[in-house]
Amino acid sequence: MANDREVLRIVWEGQVPVCFQADPDEVVGLQQPEDFYLMVSRLSYLPLVTDKVKKYFTKYISNELQDGEIWFDSNGTPLKSHYPIGVLYDLLHPEDDGLPWSITIHFSKFPEDILFKFSSKELVESHFMSCLKEADVLKHRGQVVSAMQKKDHNQLWLGLVNDKFDQFWAVNRRLMEPVGEQECFKHIPVRFYNEDGTYMQKLISPINEAGQKRTLDDLLNDLSTPSRQAVGVRSHGVKIHGDTPLQWMSEHLSYPDNFLHFCMIYENI
Amino acid sequence: MFTSHTVPVTSILIVSHGGSPFKSSHRSDKNKDFEVMSETESTSDKKPEVSNDDSVSTGNDKGSENQSTKVDILLNATGNVPIMKKRRWAVDQEKPISWIMKFVHKYLKLDPEEKLFLYVNQTFAPSPDQIVKNLYECHGTNGKLVLYYCKSQAWG
Repeated sequence: MANDREVLRIVWEGQVPVCFQADPDEVVGLQQPEDFYLMVSRLSYLPLVTDKVKKYFTKYISNELQDGEIWFDSNGTPLKSHYPIGVLYDLLHPEDDGLPWSITIHFSKFPEDILFKFSSKELVESHFMSCLKEADVLKHRGQVVSAMQKKDHNQLWLGLVNDKFDQFWAVNRRLMEPVGEQECFKHIPVRFYNEDGTYMQKLISPINEAGQKRTLDDLLNDLSTPSRQAVGVRSHGVKIHGDTPLQWMSEHLSYPDNFLHFCMIYENI
Repeated sequence: MFTSHTVPVTSILIVSHGGSPFKSSHRSDKNKDFEVMSETESTSDKKPEVSNDDSVSTGNDKGSENQSTKVDILLNATGNVPIMKKRRWAVDQEKPISWIMKFVHKYLKLDPEEKLFLYVNQTFAPSPDQIVKNLYECHGTNGKLVLYYCKSQAWG
């Protein structure tokens, strides 16, 4: 439906203003570099949007650090570069405040105990494709993604990298349709994030035993325990309405990796 | 605590506090064909699976919901990679995939620069920070998680 395609467009165009800063300990010379401001896509990944940032700050740091492994932190929290930028932002800003988002770039002291090295575009690409495959295993037992050709996979990736909505959706459309006579996916690919940035995955069915479509409220009910109630989820910077069907959410609010990424809101009872 | 506590409980507690991590053979595992995958560092989370409340152990027979439960994984070799003598392992469900990769790497005595790839059900490569529990919940079959390992990329 036309209206729903509009939702895909709005999600695709979501951006976050970021203020990149240098690590003062790494700067040589008297003058601190000025901050670097950038609008970045919520759906993208840090290594895909920070070429210019890296190039700019390289001029201000000592030669021996210039080839170092780059990483980012926000207010002391190292940022996982294989999480979509929108997920990172939502996790760290439960109140959606503090714009522009201040991020510090580092060229040394990579925190190997916390972060994995996903700093190259190739590694992010293989991670992205793996997520997409896993999502298709959940939705269609992997039948759709494995029936695709290599060029289709490339088109998905390049559509994301180059911010080409039509190019991406020409292929992704096939991944977002139930197969055969089905009205729904087999399972909904979704990751539920805790405040600390870890996440939980479960098998989530889009319909109940009676064959009716399940909603977000049904899901929150399932995720609640006697001591802790799941009261809502945030994604793409918005709190999602409880009566939204899970199947609709999967088709329209998934990130390009085909997963729904939900920041959970819990209340202790 | 309770006056009725039994001798085995105390002896296990003593071992787990000060004993060598290798002397863990007394642990009674439900699945005898699954060896427990562990490293010396992980002694702290090895709580002896002994309950002093009978109703709990019978009421919670499924066990899969338990916090400290282990998940059974099956490791299959693919391509020109050495076969592991022991394929079935019980792994703490909170462990990340990177931990299993390190374990297999070490077990096979691969050179440090040799790469190792791990796949779930011959379909996708899980992220190194993905935990075993999430994969088991979504992709486990017949009570176990089937993983394939190889030295070159196999399923993308």
